[in-house]
Amino acid sequence: MSDKTATVIPASDTERPRLAAPEKMPVTQIALLAFVAAALVVLPFVVTGYVLYIANLLLVFIVLCLGLHLVIGETGQFALAHAAFYGIGIYSSGLAGNAFGWPFPLSMLLAGVVAGAVGVVIGTVALRMRDIYLALATFAFGEAMQWVFLNWDQVTGGPNGLRISPARLGDLEILTDRQAYPVVVFVTLLMIALTIVISRSRVGRSFRAVRESDVAAMAMGIPVRRAKITAFGLSAFYAGVAGSMFATFSTYIHPDSLGFQTTILALTMVVVGGLGSITGAVGGAIVFGLISEFLRQTPSYQEIIYGLILIVFMMYAPRGLFAFIRDQMGRITRG
Amino acid sequence: MAEHLLEVVDLTVKFGGLTAVNKFNIAVKRGTIHALIGPNGAGKSTTFNCISRFYQPTTGRVLLDGVDVTRMPASAMAGLGVARTFQNLELFGELTVFENVMIGAHVHAGRSWVEVLSARPPGVVEHVEHLLERTSLTAYRNTVARNLDFGHQKLLELARALAIRPRLLLLDEPAAGLRNREIAALDALLTDLCRREGITILLVEHVMQLVMAISDRVTVLNFGTKISEGTPDDVRNDPSVIEAYLGQEMAHA
Repeated sequence: MSDKTATVIPASDTERPRLAAPEKMPVTQIALLAFVAAALVVLPFVVTGYVLYIANLLLVFIVLCLGLHLVIGETGQFALAHAAFYGIGIYSSGLAGNAFGWPFPLSMLLAGVVAGAVGVVIGTVALRMRDIYLALATFAFGEAMQWVFLNWDQVTGGPNGLRISPARLGDLEILTDRQAYPVVVFVTLLMIALTIVISRSRVGRSFRAVRESDVAAMAMGIPVRRAKITAFGLSAFYAGVAGSMFATFSTYIHPDSLGFQTTILALTMVVVGGLGSITGAVGGAIVFGLISEFLRQTPSYQEIIYGLILIVFMMYAPRGLFAFIRDQMGRITRG
Repeated sequence: MAEHLLEVVDLTVKFGGLTAVNKFNIAVKRGTIHALIGPNGAGKSTTFNCISRFYQPTTGRVLLDGVDVTRMPASAMAGLGVARTFQNLELFGELTVFENVMIGAHVHAGRSWVEVLSARPPGVVEHVEHLLERTSLTAYRNTVARNLDFGHQKLLELARALAIRPRLLLLDEPAAGLRNREIAALDALLTDLCRREGITILLVEHVMQLVMAISDRVTVLNFGTKISEGTPDDVRNDPSVIEAYLGQEMAHA
């Protein structure tokens, strides 16, 4: 990720020419990764089922945020229909399990592919527009999808919601959050790895080129529209997978939770974490997911506090929590 | 192989009622440096944007190596070996110098899955490093492009265009805003690219010092029409050019 870090360090640092650094991971980073790995392994043995449920939910949000990171952070396209693709993922995998008894890895793949395919179709139309028009068009699609979830009774159960039968693989049935946890962790790690590979590859580079200047991207031989649609479809794929992850530890889904608030929640996580970096997307999902969990006790203030956090971040840490911390630490170590 | 790498035939561009370019013809010989000059608003940039496929001409054709590319999308031109720079710099501002040039090499990274997903496609990185060295940008490798000074930004745009490994290099005012010392370096670099590597260069330029020093041929445009063409000396002595263009320059000097 050394290529990426340069975009996150403060401007005052980058103004000085810097020589190519050897590409080695700093010790602190390795230590941090080891700590995270240990925490992930130890967690199910030391906490209650409820905490594991929260952990599963946070992991789902991480994947959701990674998708949003690809389309907004990397490609710079403000797509606001993430909850819809998330919903498509939940229903696809839920229905594949209910109706056909598919093993869950297969229904996960299905969820991602169905959401991704819908994403490509919507993206092909919506990405003719840009900026606020794109945001509004995708917002409208999101609202329309929520209406579909609410009214397509035969398939989604409509306002009664849909009961999801337990995820299964052969004789194995996932009945508790504790059982679902290793699956959810594994898929999350897989999706993080996929995001890193995409981001460092030519595909990620073409996304960033489109974000920075579509005119220059075109001159470099990048088919700009296709790059945008690819990013949009990929992000829908991620949202679909996130939906199917949710379905592995949930027994019930109601369309109420698939509206604009969910899109905004994911967007807030990505912005608070730091737009344009994978660490930001993952960290934002964890930090803001925890905050929103604590706020659950006071639902009437929840929205206000979200709004306040978002405003404060945009004013004082527009590049996100982690860039902010790094800046502050840099200031301290420099004296 | 056509004698002329680039031919523009009867190019006309109208914006509403305004005719920006009128039945313009130009033929650029392979392996030469050809300059397109003219006063502000003469239609140079419009012509330039038609060749690089950013504008669609009202009528007329653009031939690359004898092949009609008038209907090609702009993003197909890099693959055909046509690279361009921009008058007002279009860098990937938040990305590093290295990444900027890597994106230039985009069309050469191969099509297989492994190559598409590789972070450092073999062969490509070496070429990028070589180009950074050539444009004296190696020291700024990890600097974010928008933090470079203007002269280095110009060089970065050139390095990025060269990463396409172009047959035809289209430069839109490469010397604008550069200091004399920087212009001299650019002069040497462009001459070298053309003479040693056989890259054909078409440049739009106002800086006469550069145009007259390096061009094999000069075409003068005024009010959308060609008024003169020839060697730098021919053009310099053409009364119609002196009246339309160089006259003004002389008056300033």
